[in-house]
Amino acid sequence: MKKLFSFLRSMRFGVLLLALIGLCSVAGTVIPQGREIAWYAQTYRSFHAAILLLRLHRVFESWYFIALILLLCVNLSLCSLTRIRSVTRAAKNEGDRAAALPDQKLLTSEGLAVLRAHMEAMRCREEKRGGVTLWRKNGFGRYGTFVTHLSILLTVVFGALALYTPTTEDHDIMPGETLTLEDGTQIRIDSFRLTDETGRLDYESTAEITLPDGRSSGVVPIRVNHPVSFGSYKLFQQSFGTAGSITVTDLAGGGSDEFLLTETSFLTADGRSGLWYEVLYPDYIRAPSGEVTLITLTEGSYPNPIYQVLVVSGEEYTPTLAVPGDTLEVFGLRFTFNEPVEYPGIRVKHVSRLFNGLLVAAFTLMILGLYLTFFCEPVLVKTDESGYAVAGPRPERMRIELENLLEEYAIEAKPSP
Amino acid sequence: MKALFFAALVIYAAAVVLQFSGTAFKKDALLRASWYVFLAAFALHTVFLAARGVAAKRLPLSNQFEFANAFAWGVALMVIVLKIRLKADWLCAAGMPAALLVMGYAAMQPMEIHDLMPALRSAWFGVHIGSAVLSYSSFVIAGVCGLRWLMAEKKGGEKRVLDQMDYLGYRMIAFGFLMLTVVILSGAIWAEQAWSAFWTWDPKEVWALITWIIYAVYLHLRLRRARRGAFTAWYAVVSVPVVFFTFAGVNTLMHGLHTYG
Ligand code: HEM
Repeated sequence: MKKLFSFLRSMRFGVLLLALIGLCSVAGTVIPQGREIAWYAQTYRSFHAAILLLRLHRVFESWYFIALILLLCVNLSLCSLTRIRSVTRAAKNEGDRAAALPDQKLLTSEGLAVLRAHMEAMRCREEKRGGVTLWRKNGFGRYGTFVTHLSILLTVVFGALALYTPTTEDHDIMPGETLTLEDGTQIRIDSFRLTDETGRLDYESTAEITLPDGRSSGVVPIRVNHPVSFGSYKLFQQSFGTAGSITVTDLAGGGSDEFLLTETSFLTADGRSGLWYEVLYPDYIRAPSGEVTLITLTEGSYPNPIYQVLVVSGEEYTPTLAVPGDTLEVFGLRFTFNEPVEYPGIRVKHVSRLFNGLLVAAFTLMILGLYLTFFCEPVLVKTDESGYAVAGPRPERMRIELENLLEEYAIEAKPSP
Repeated sequence: MKALFFAALVIYAAAVVLQFSGTAFKKDALLRASWYVFLAAFALHTVFLAARGVAAKRLPLSNQFEFANAFAWGVALMVIVLKIRLKADWLCAAGMPAALLVMGYAAMQPMEIHDLMPALRSAWFGVHIGSAVLSYSSFVIAGVCGLRWLMAEKKGGEKRVLDQMDYLGYRMIAFGFLMLTVVILSGAIWAEQAWSAFWTWDPKEVWALITWIIYAVYLHLRLRRARRGAFTAWYAVVSVPVVFFTFAGVNTLMHGLHTYG
């Protein structure tokens, strides 16, 4: 039992876990993740059964990957708990131990003066103790690795909460329309534009969010990189689309309606004749002969939109192209083709601000921990009238620094008889 | 402006040739000349970097060319700072060619200036990519230290200098590791702002994590005194290709959200 415990908290086990997590991660990037099963069968042929069996197509959700992460948490917790005790205990009498150390290097008197000046320039605390001098600095740096390991543990825990507890839904919302969420929260898109004042792409919606208790956000902009938080929701400018706009007028009754269309639709009064909206193309080229070539790809806005529709009268279907401004009359209905309307795709995320905040705090702690570990190493140097010794929990830096500084003042120690 | 870049590249190459000749023929004058030529190339490179930033009206760090260019600049800067501060002349023999190699990679990338896409227009851009430049440059310098350690040890080098190489390699990895942590954590915060999730297991993210794990393992293994020296030197050298893969390979070979060009 004792053996198992000491293995579970050992650095060897920690390194092994890190290596295994690394290997799984390599597999998770070499094999594309989360595709249809058929895709793996087609791409990897005879290997695909092994890939599916080992869940290499969903490595990061697999039981063994999650088990490795959980074991890493156990290992980090046990190791941190046991080490913090020994580090604190060692700190208690480290001054006495340092004072009792024999000199590691002997120096000329000039060298001793250089050493003293260096320790003073480093702003070390000077402490006289039984005929020797102790120079100390950055005692708190000894807790750097503890803070680092603790922050990694917290990052895994809060990261999992911040990543897997929120729900997200994507909605296309037309300008002027309101989306009502399950809990009654309403999101009204006031406007949407693709470009900023200078004409460069910069998707921006303006929206108003109204919570079930009646509180309103007012009209606020939502842009890429600048989501809006209100209540427990966060709204992201996620995508955009372009909808066809057709106004239908009843020539007999005089009433009219505007339809915003994103998929094939049949606009009809009697169910038999009317207009099939098929698709809207962003651009076209009209040859001198009158022949039209439709263009499907453009970036951003639709420079020359053109509608492809079918005029339906009874059994007859007539393919027709129309540009904004055109009108068609079919059995008592007039169809007016308008300029298309651009609309945003909004991602609605139901977030826990607490988990997000805790995660960012864990991140900050990690940076602090690493800074303490590498840039605030504890300094503990003993000097006497013949030389010096470097002590403390992390002596390497000081040892190398002083060796280089005092190289020319070192006296070769006499070999002991 | 391209001329400025290629001029810097050619002068870096000249510095490397002088460095190799100086080492091969044991001529201090050639080594000294190599140093001054390298400083001149760096000055020109700095002017190019600033001019590119002014022309693009943003930090010049947005695509493969700009990143590689800044990466080469970071390597050259570190060679210069460390040589001056630590009197580590031994760094030049491998440090200068390393800067030249990264510069050569930059020269093979398309150089046009593009408008920053909306997802990149963020205050996190500078923090995330700036720290990546520092991190990758530090790892390259650590690899350089490892290489120099292996070469010096073969020639029966002085223990004090070997220790200095080993320790500098470790310090560079420690700094690079801190910077890589900043890259990953700032990237996570930015991803939440831009794409709504802190982490999406995107190949670039995962390879940054793999690189982080590789160097975390190094830091732990080095805690054992017995492993310092040949083991850590080899480890630092062999890890550099992984850094390059994270920086360049992922963008060319794998598709993900970080595929900007
Ligand atoms: C998950 C990623 C981890 C990271 C990023 C990490 C980071 C670090 C760092 C930066 C150091 C200081 C190294 C140095 O002084 O050069 C360190 C030391 C250490 N780590 Fe980790 N660590 C991790 C996981 C672990 C695990 C799982 C264990 C398992 C027990 C562990 C045990 C230790 C020990 C015992 C030390 C020496 C502590 C000391 O000198 O006070 N680490 N770690």
